[in-house]
Amino acid sequence: MDRREFLMWSGVATGAAAVAKVGGVAAAQEPAHPGGHGGAVGAATGATGASAPSVLAAPTRTRVVAPSGQVGVHTPNGSTLPWRVVDGVKVGHLVAEEVDHEFAQGIRARCWGYNGGTPGPTIEAIEGDRLRIYVTNRLPEATTVHWHGIILPNGMDGVAGLTQRPIPPGETYVYELVVRHAGTFMYHPHYDEMTQMALGMMGMFVVHPRRPQGPRVDRDFALMTSEWKLEPGAARPDPNAMNDFNLLTFNGKAFPATEPLMIQKGERVRIRFGNLGAMDHHPIHLHGVSFHETATDGGFAPPSAQRPETTVLVPVGTTRVIELVPTESGDWPMHCHMTHHAMTQMGHARSTVGADTRTLDRRMSRVLPSYMSMGQRGMGGMGEMPMPVPSNSAPMRGAEGPFSYIDMGGMFTILKVRDDVASADPSGWYRHPAGTVAGPADPARMRADGIDGGSGESR
Amino acid sequence: MSTDPKILAGLLFGALVVSGCATTSIAGDLDGIREATASAMLPRVERDDVEVETGADVRELLGAPLTPDRAARIAILNNRGLRAALRDVGVARGDYVQAGLLPNPGFEFDVREPGEVGEPLQLEFFGEWNLTRVVLAPMRARAARAELEAARYRAASAVVEVGYRARAAFLGYQAAAARLAAANQALDAFAASRDAARALFEAGNIPGLDRATQEAAYESARVLVAELELEAMIARESVQRVLGLYGEETAWTAESELAELPDELAIADDLERDVLEASFALAETRSRLEAIARRTGIARTAGWLPDITVDGHTERDGDNWEVGGGAHVSLPIFDRQQGTRAAREAEFDALLERYLGMAVDVRSSARELAGRLRSAHARAKHFRDAILPARRRVLEQALLQYNAMQIDVFQLLQVQRELLDAELRRIEALREFWAARASFDALLTGHAVGVEPTSSAVSLGGASEDPGEH
Repeated sequence: MDRREFLMWSGVATGAAAVAKVGGVAAAQEPAHPGGHGGAVGAATGATGASAPSVLAAPTRTRVVAPSGQVGVHTPNGSTLPWRVVDGVKVGHLVAEEVDHEFAQGIRARCWGYNGGTPGPTIEAIEGDRLRIYVTNRLPEATTVHWHGIILPNGMDGVAGLTQRPIPPGETYVYELVVRHAGTFMYHPHYDEMTQMALGMMGMFVVHPRRPQGPRVDRDFALMTSEWKLEPGAARPDPNAMNDFNLLTFNGKAFPATEPLMIQKGERVRIRFGNLGAMDHHPIHLHGVSFHETATDGGFAPPSAQRPETTVLVPVGTTRVIELVPTESGDWPMHCHMTHHAMTQMGHARSTVGADTRTLDRRMSRVLPSYMSMGQRGMGGMGEMPMPVPSNSAPMRGAEGPFSYIDMGGMFTILKVRDDVASADPSGWYRHPAGTVAGPADPARMRADGIDGGSGESR
Repeated sequence: MSTDPKILAGLLFGALVVSGCATTSIAGDLDGIREATASAMLPRVERDDVEVETGADVRELLGAPLTPDRAARIAILNNRGLRAALRDVGVARGDYVQAGLLPNPGFEFDVREPGEVGEPLQLEFFGEWNLTRVVLAPMRARAARAELEAARYRAASAVVEVGYRARAAFLGYQAAAARLAAANQALDAFAASRDAARALFEAGNIPGLDRATQEAAYESARVLVAELELEAMIARESVQRVLGLYGEETAWTAESELAELPDELAIADDLERDVLEASFALAETRSRLEAIARRTGIARTAGWLPDITVDGHTERDGDNWEVGGGAHVSLPIFDRQQGTRAAREAEFDALLERYLGMAVDVRSSARELAGRLRSAHARAKHFRDAILPARRRVLEQALLQYNAMQIDVFQLLQVQRELLDAELRRIEALREFWAARASFDALLTGHAVGVEPTSSAVSLGGASEDPGEH
């Protein structure tokens, strides 16, 4: 390890958090509550003040949780399941329950999740750990927990009817398993999956290897993609939706409620994606970096098999892990490239692009004075217009950005790559060096270059 | 003995005066009818001449926008049928006066020229008077008085009937005009859908089928509006007829809104008793029963009273005046008016049966009209307090969904048209309430009117006519 890595690592050791030792002694993990913070305990002040637009989180200070300096996984907008070690067994408790969830400011809904949130807390362990996970069911119907991708005794697989009886409401079952393989996995119900997963029951499950392969990673993030159908004005997602999803989320949040990923320029960053949505695969595109796909829920890929990409396709029911080293500082979007997935609660009203509505508007001022024609010049700016919309909805809403309104929503977040991330303000914007921002063309320069701004042809 | 001719003349003159005391003018009858029907004014038909021109009071009432009350007052003053019915009271009154008149005495005067010379002219006076008819005259007068009462009740019924018909026709016109206004708003909404379709088609955003569908829906709506225009025109004409208007007078205007629905409805507990007491038809039948009873009495009296005619004569034979008198008596031996009596009694009994049947009908009318009134009030109130507010909330929410771009302008306008359709039905329910109220009030005043069935079922909601959405 080089001096920079060593300093970073030992800097963490002086924090209040204990350093994880080989052998699985539990570090003081952050408590498993929604909106919890990754990184150092000192940062866990519970300050979730949402100064627009992004969720405020203290700059993540990495902490080592596994052999050879493997850092802990940070779950933006989420939490990690705390362990209690009893006789060498890591004991955890998942409570399956109905939760009151906020997707973004102005959109709240009744969902189902674990330990008060959706997605549920990330389960983090080390290869070879013995785990005992109690699952208490406080849902109105039975449930189970299936450990997606993990090789374990058949009876612990959590398939209702096939490998166990489902957990009746009100009861607590226990799962005993040894995580013999490292990897990025997930957990979700395997009883009435259509309903329970559509309402938000899922979580990430990361197992660190004893002997890590590849270059050391400085930051490690876990993001679950989800798709929901929440009609504007409704307060519960529709579990029967098979298509026409209108609310897309990273870790249960739609932009601008997604917590930005704070990254130091030049660091090696790992992002683990998990997709337990109902129907759609998501091509997650990162701006400003290229990366390699280094692992799936089947295991690590040898370097020669690691695909270089700027967009990683995460099919339904899979995990994909990428590693990147950003070389350019800035505010870089990371989003699903399906254009409708980056727009919150967009409807399918007939397009009015290009229509001349003057006659219609004159008549409507008589027929229905509160009507306003919209969208004749496109949809940009719809989120900014102060029109009354159904309660508990935020159709087409985006956020104020450093230059103007950002008209994106849904499955969209920002990688904030900073020269010095430790002193960076998570709700602040990148300060661009002079001359590096696209702006209006200077007319003299245009003439010198032979560009006619009017016709767009070069002379 | 010699009777002073002056005294005789005086007696005759007194009889003449007394018999002429009953007046032929129906002014008093009209006052009674006006009180019984609680009318503001009745036409001045006690005068002999028939006015061809419309009265000044009617022209004054026509000066302001009409309401059902004003229309009723105009109709009562101006409806020629009602004026005729009121003048019919004069017929009964004339008959009453006639029945009370004393019989005329008969006189005979003879002059004879005797053939012998020196004999003066022979003069003879003869006078007779039917005493029986004198005795029976007051009885006949009382019978005719009862018939006059019956005629007054009939006229009162006619007044209430015309008042109700005027209100009902006017409410029908007001409602038709209000429905036409709502329909024109709905037509505007159809036109807006058509404008939107045209704009989107010109921009290339929708295919020709969608545009053609909206154009067709608009054109169909125009015909529906034309039908409502016709309804309004026909309703207006029926008002003109009931109010008896022609020429420039037909240019009256009406209040655009029907009167507001009262929140509470008060119907008396002993409704049937009130209605029975007030009923003109029952009162008329009672008067007619009384008339028949009196005529039966006349027949009974005439059955035993001999027909007596007293007479007196005086004669000059030579230089002497001879005076004499006598009586002519017809004894009721064979003809004691048995047949006539039986006929009158049968007539009485038949009318009494009819009277009892009428009472049953009147009670039933009371219950039925009270039921109609309660139902109409509840429905009109439901439209005002529940249905229209609910539809307005639907439109509010639809507008929010439109702002969120979840629905488009066609669906929004469809919701607007459904609101206007509910408005059409609200107007009809309100009209039905006021018409039920008028018929109920007419019954409480004393006359049961025939109730009309409910009217227009034209609906403008229309199908969505929107094939290619979502």
